[in-house]
Amino acid sequence: MDKYYLHERRPDGAISTVGLYYSREEAEDIIAQLRELPEKRDCEYLMTRPDGAVPEAPPNNPEDS
Amino acid sequence: MRGTTPRRMQGLADPVLSTMVHDLGLAEVPHYASRSEKVVGYTNRWVENARFRDGPVNPQRVEVTDRASMTAQVKAKARELGADLVGICRLTPTMIDLGEEVPHEFVIAACIVEDYHKVLEGADAVEEEAMRVYAACSDLATELAAYVRDLGYPAWAHHNGVREVQAIPVFYQVGFGELGRHGSLIHEKYGADFRPGFVTTDLPLEVDEPREFGVQDFCMNCNVCMLNCPGDAIPKEHVVTEGIKRWLIDLEKCYPYSRLREEYCHLCVDVCPFNVGSHRTTFKTFMKHRKRIGYKTPKY
Repeated sequence: MDKYYLHERRPDGAISTVGLYYSREEAEDIIAQLRELPEKRDCEYLMTRPDGAVPEAPPNNPEDS
Repeated sequence: MRGTTPRRMQGLADPVLSTMVHDLGLAEVPHYASRSEKVVGYTNRWVENARFRDGPVNPQRVEVTDRASMTAQVKAKARELGADLVGICRLTPTMIDLGEEVPHEFVIAACIVEDYHKVLEGADAVEEEAMRVYAACSDLATELAAYVRDLGYPAWAHHNGVREVQAIPVFYQVGFGELGRHGSLIHEKYGADFRPGFVTTDLPLEVDEPREFGVQDFCMNCNVCMLNCPGDAIPKEHVVTEGIKRWLIDLEKCYPYSRLREEYCHLCVDVCPFNVGSHRTTFKTFMKHRKRIGYKTPKY
């Protein structure tokens, strides 16, 4: 299975790991739910692989839209 | 208050487990298929208790003029109902399931300790004990919520049958212990051998504080659970969530031992020095038994 660590970067720069997910779809579904929360509107979401690599095409973040 | 923390689904609702079961051509999780009637009975109990998690609030409210006294009264009630540990904190969004609403200010956490000696009776006995305690926690939370509503304040019970509250962040905040490398919270006396029930409420209460007594520092160098895990599911590296260090267990590696055999795997908790210290004789007997039936641990 693919594995993705999902991290949340807050407007103050603090990073908090959301969790470990086992498909890109699963992680992106969590990002979509988090983005629905007004208090998370300005957060960015980053995915990394267990080896530290950043997967291609990271999810849309505020500055991308 | 709306929750911000994703919850991993349990059983076949968990996409990792359902994918593995499907890939193996199984109709069901083998471990679940072998559940005893007792375990099914415990499960039915918390499902039944879910119907009573909320109810009418006494219109004749008891005014709280002394929070410390009310807090002591509620904690005493929880202990009378069977709690071994009771703690209280303010509810925050990180303690609630992502997207769920809980309209309360406080959360009361109550834990009941398991009988660790059950490991000597085999893996099924360990699981049966866990389910027994989960059912008892659902009774406790249901009765404690009713008690608070009778004082004139809204209250919901949270347990295996119905819950929006997440155990680990609440446990940490009320001072039950620290999160260990094996993924469970560690109490200095009870190790990780306890199960929770919660009540959320607006009853004015005094709050407890987190307690740190060296668990995470110890886990950084101990590694016993990691070295003994038969699936290599426990990571070397930690992450940080909400400022708290945690180690994310790799479920793809854990499930072949904890879900896809007919027996439950509990070894990471068994070998933890915080558990061994509390159950030295039982642990020694248990490890001898494991070796006799063919388990080879530790690996290194």
